[in-house]
Amino acid sequence: MNEFIKTRLLDNNAALVQMLGLCPLLAVSNTAINALGMGLATIAVVVTTNLLVSLIRPITHKEIRIPLFVLLIASTVTTLEMMMNAYFHQLYLTLGIFIPLIVTNCLIMARAEAFASKNAYWISVKDGFFVGLGFAMVLFLIGVMREIIGQGTLFSQAHLLLGEWGHHIELTLFSDYAGFLIAILPPGAFFALAVLVALKNKRDLKITKKNHE
Amino acid sequence: MTEQATNQTQNKPNRTWLLPLILAFMTLITSGLLMFSHALTADKIAAIQLKNKLDSLQRLIPDHLIDNNLVDDAIDLYEPVLLGHRQTEKLYLGKKNGLITAMAIPVTARNGYSGDIKLLVGIQVGGNQNGLITAVEIIAHKETPGLGDLIETKKSDWLLQFPGASLQQPAETLWQVKKDQGEFDQITAATITPRAVVAAIKQALLFNREFQP
Repeated sequence: MNEFIKTRLLDNNAALVQMLGLCPLLAVSNTAINALGMGLATIAVVVTTNLLVSLIRPITHKEIRIPLFVLLIASTVTTLEMMMNAYFHQLYLTLGIFIPLIVTNCLIMARAEAFASKNAYWISVKDGFFVGLGFAMVLFLIGVMREIIGQGTLFSQAHLLLGEWGHHIELTLFSDYAGFLIAILPPGAFFALAVLVALKNKRDLKITKKNHE
Repeated sequence: MTEQATNQTQNKPNRTWLLPLILAFMTLITSGLLMFSHALTADKIAAIQLKNKLDSLQRLIPDHLIDNNLVDDAIDLYEPVLLGHRQTEKLYLGKKNGLITAMAIPVTARNGYSGDIKLLVGIQVGGNQNGLITAVEIIAHKETPGLGDLIETKKSDWLLQFPGASLQQPAETLWQVKKDQGEFDQITAATITPRAVVAAIKQALLFNREFQP
């Protein structure tokens, strides 16, 4: 794995290290499928906005860059919302209220400001994709943890995202599981995130130690 | 103020006057984009919403019972005490040969776990099926994802125990969840939501009985 990708997926992961975009991260990670849907939507948005921000570099001045980015991000998300409502209506019904939340995801603004506004469009698209992927992975992992602990199932309601064949991957891991409410409620998201951050820090510590020796 | 502004422009010949123009230009472009995607999707979204509404009305008041147009014949209803309304709601009347054969009664359950739960309860009127529930539709709710939201038909079959029930079957006093010595299944780990929905459906049945000739 080359350094460019590794930084974005792991070493400087947007959710685990930079702690960006926690608002959607905590809101929709209660099931694996919700988390996956939100992750995919975020990747789509950050790739598009990175491309657009990179393309308008010639007319971006320091003083007006923030309003320009806000304009682009807000219109991209709104367009995505309308397209989803029209063409993926079932998914929209599940994720619909969270799509506008993407606007407030500071991950997207951060990539626009820190990377896309200074780099050519192709590398900005790649940046958006891998940062988005790193974010989506964390979102998905938290979703998996919360769903297993909270409901004892995995990929429930997969058909909302994947269509009819999604019914086949819906798993009930423990039948007759009483459920663990706190994992599904918002605090559960904080616990799951904390576990992932701890694991990541442990790995970092190991690497630093190895380098010292 | 004007003098200062002029001075600044003269001191810094960096085309400050261009900045608002760029912003205005980008606003124009993004507004254009939004107008375009709105025009592209508006008809489709309106069609989907209308279809969803008609589908749900058709489940509440099946076609074979009526010969009128449900949407045209809907009447405004405001029953804050009996039906928990917070504003005027639509009551749908199904008629055949001028006689009322079924109603879809709007109820608002104010005692959900988080916020109001809005339902439509379809009830047959007259004939030998008088007072029987045809179907129940959840219109809006904010219950806990993965727990309380299992009242949605697309997420679990819980709501399907009501069609065919009436104030006689089960008896009026048994219109409660099993935990409260009633007739109806509850949802594991979520008691408050089913309790609220069962009570709301009962209110709709009481309303129906009260307004029978």
